[in-house]
Amino acid sequence: MNIELTDVTRTFGRNKAVDGVSLAVGPGVFGLLGPNGAGKTSLLRMLATVLPPSSGTVRLLDKDPGRPAARTQIRRRLGYLPQNLGYYPSFTVAEFVEYFALLKEMPAHQVPKAVAAAVEQVDLGPRAKARLRTLSGGMLRRVGIAQAIVNGPDLLLLDEPTAGLDPEQRVAFRTLIRDLGQRATVVVSTHLVEDVGTACSEVALMAEGKVVFRGTPDELTAQGEGHEIGDSPLERGYGAVLAASRKQVAA
Amino acid sequence: MTAVALTPRPARFRPARFRPARFRTVRALRLEFKHSPVVRVLPILAALFYVNAYRTAAGFPPTWTVRASVITGSNLVFFSVIAAGIAAWVATREGRRQTGDLLATTARVAWARQATVLAATAFWMVLAYLAGVAVIYIQTARQATWGGPPLWPVAVGVMGVAASCAVGFTCGTLLPGRFTAPIVAVAVFAAWFAGVAAANNVNNASNGMKGTSALLVAATGRPQNIDVGVYYHVPPDVSIAQVMLMGGVLLGLLGLLPAARVPGVRGLSFAAGRRLTVVAAAGVACGVAASATAFALAGTARYSFTTGWEIPALLDAADDQPVPYTLDCTGSVFKVCIHPAFEPYLGAMSAPLQLAAAEIAGLPGAPVRAEMTTGNTLPAVAGTTSVYDYSTEQEGFGDASFWATPAIARTADWEQGVQEDFITWFVSGPAEQDSPGPTPAEEAVAIALLAKIGAPVPQYPQFSQPGTQPGASSASSTSGASATQSGASAAQITAAASGFESLSSAARHAWLAANLAGLRSGTITLAQLP
Repeated sequence: MNIELTDVTRTFGRNKAVDGVSLAVGPGVFGLLGPNGAGKTSLLRMLATVLPPSSGTVRLLDKDPGRPAARTQIRRRLGYLPQNLGYYPSFTVAEFVEYFALLKEMPAHQVPKAVAAAVEQVDLGPRAKARLRTLSGGMLRRVGIAQAIVNGPDLLLLDEPTAGLDPEQRVAFRTLIRDLGQRATVVVSTHLVEDVGTACSEVALMAEGKVVFRGTPDELTAQGEGHEIGDSPLERGYGAVLAASRKQVAA
Repeated sequence: MTAVALTPRPARFRPARFRPARFRTVRALRLEFKHSPVVRVLPILAALFYVNAYRTAAGFPPTWTVRASVITGSNLVFFSVIAAGIAAWVATREGRRQTGDLLATTARVAWARQATVLAATAFWMVLAYLAGVAVIYIQTARQATWGGPPLWPVAVGVMGVAASCAVGFTCGTLLPGRFTAPIVAVAVFAAWFAGVAAANNVNNASNGMKGTSALLVAATGRPQNIDVGVYYHVPPDVSIAQVMLMGGVLLGLLGLLPAARVPGVRGLSFAAGRRLTVVAAAGVACGVAASATAFALAGTARYSFTTGWEIPALLDAADDQPVPYTLDCTGSVFKVCIHPAFEPYLGAMSAPLQLAAAEIAGLPGAPVRAEMTTGNTLPAVAGTTSVYDYSTEQEGFGDASFWATPAIARTADWEQGVQEDFITWFVSGPAEQDSPGPTPAEEAVAIALLAKIGAPVPQYPQFSQPGTQPGASSASSTSGASATQSGASAAQITAAASGFESLSSAARHAWLAANLAGLRSGTITLAQLP
């Protein structure tokens, strides 16, 4: 298993963002769904080794990220696209991706080819020498994806990756992560259920910091039978699980 | 788990600049160099350098030590202020650009990443500083006639700029905020201002001054003594202490960087690895030790008029030895010689001296040569040979002196001052250390001789007292001792001088040949002048 979480919690002051989550995820594309404030981003940041858990155990790529040496090894094999992508406006696309390839400690001789490949994969080859300040929001999102995949990660964490992408790019992106999911574990955190339905082999739904559903997209769809809110079967499943979760909390 | 193959289709983009480099650090540095904000402020730095340092250096005499004082003075001050401000700005980049999360997931430790950014900033600032040094040194090399560029001030300046970058960067990293950069720049400027003021006070004090402020003397503008570095080597003692102090600051601050938090990460975060913590603690300890040692060494510094500040523990005995030199001379009948470092002033010295020497040529005791000596020792040949000794200390008149450039030195003030000193020296005899000054008769003769060569009345005490009118009795004068003792007023001296001046040249020479010894010994009075 590339991700093993056991009773993981993360608190910020009195706010419990992640509450007793246990997960085991292997290779493939894993969708993390949930409404705003469900704890998806906090969970993803823990998986990205940005945050340590307040309690519980986290094992990534069969290593303990709490140990500095193991954390460094994990980070070499990690790709992460945060929800809010920060960038340096004066860097070009290629330079930004190269910068992160270097920080991920890729062997120097592999960097040029890896950068070129990553830039091509997000279809930014013609804009490789463009400064980031000149790019649109969607293009910047693709730059963020490029830096995340430049090191050929075994664990790829994408927080709202399709936000700002046009429909054509969104389709291309889904193809890309399906390719990547052949060998790596790709965790896609999103509130756009159509992304999950077409690209993910497995999905978890979070609410109030807890995982309230785990299964395949088809199983989530099945949960929506009889539920009327939602435009697609998957959305109805998503709504049904959330409604049931809220009822349970209220009870 | 193996790496994922990422190239389902052939790559179209292969920029030529993606040449493999051996080291990731070199490649990362290259990116930081290229995007450093220092590049954008280089025009401002160049303008400040021109206004502040270049013009100051150009106004100084073309001797290496004096010109080099600018590079550790005003040049270092404004460079370090800007360096600290820019470094603080750069250090807040991750917070401003919200890249903290993204960078926190990379394998390279934050300290190494930040050190790369700091190195790029410091590199540009040091490069700009060195360019300024090169301009000043090239300008000096084209004008200087002796000696070579001192390198210790350059080392001090480089270390000062690097340490300023480290100060700013550490502040920006540990205390990130929108106003961190301007606050740091103002704080560094205030620190320099206070330090320079303290060092100026030390320089103005007596020889009993404390040494710790010697760490700041480099920034006070210029050496106290223009002869330092000309007649004696400048010992590198203070420079060594300064480099140690600033190197310690640099090392200590680098050691503090791992303590910085990841921007945007609230609450509990991953602790740094033990090895990094140990290395950082060792860096801080070594930095504090180096700075403390430098401070302690500076506490033992003492001031020497010939060589400047000396620190006994660092002093090399060879530095106390005079620097050998061969005088540069001009003239045939009367030679005027000058230290080769001041060769550009030879014309300014020679012209008025030749004129004055011609007036007394052939008289017994008239000098056949004028030689420059260091201003802090008694003339080596005074009173025994006919050599007129002068120094950089003596030859300062009006706005002109050896502190000015040769072009500025060649003014009427300068030339008349040179002639006054020369004629007074001749009439009174080579000055003794405890000489009471010229007698009224000597003054009258000197005034007459100077008048013959077109020089004005010298600034003898009774002539320069604003309350003393010609004709007033000496009893009312509170001026020079000789005038008071002899009972001669300025009017009496002027009248006697006029009488002596009205003699024919042959008569003056004849009288001086016969009476010079008596005149110098004080046995000839004003009334005995022809």
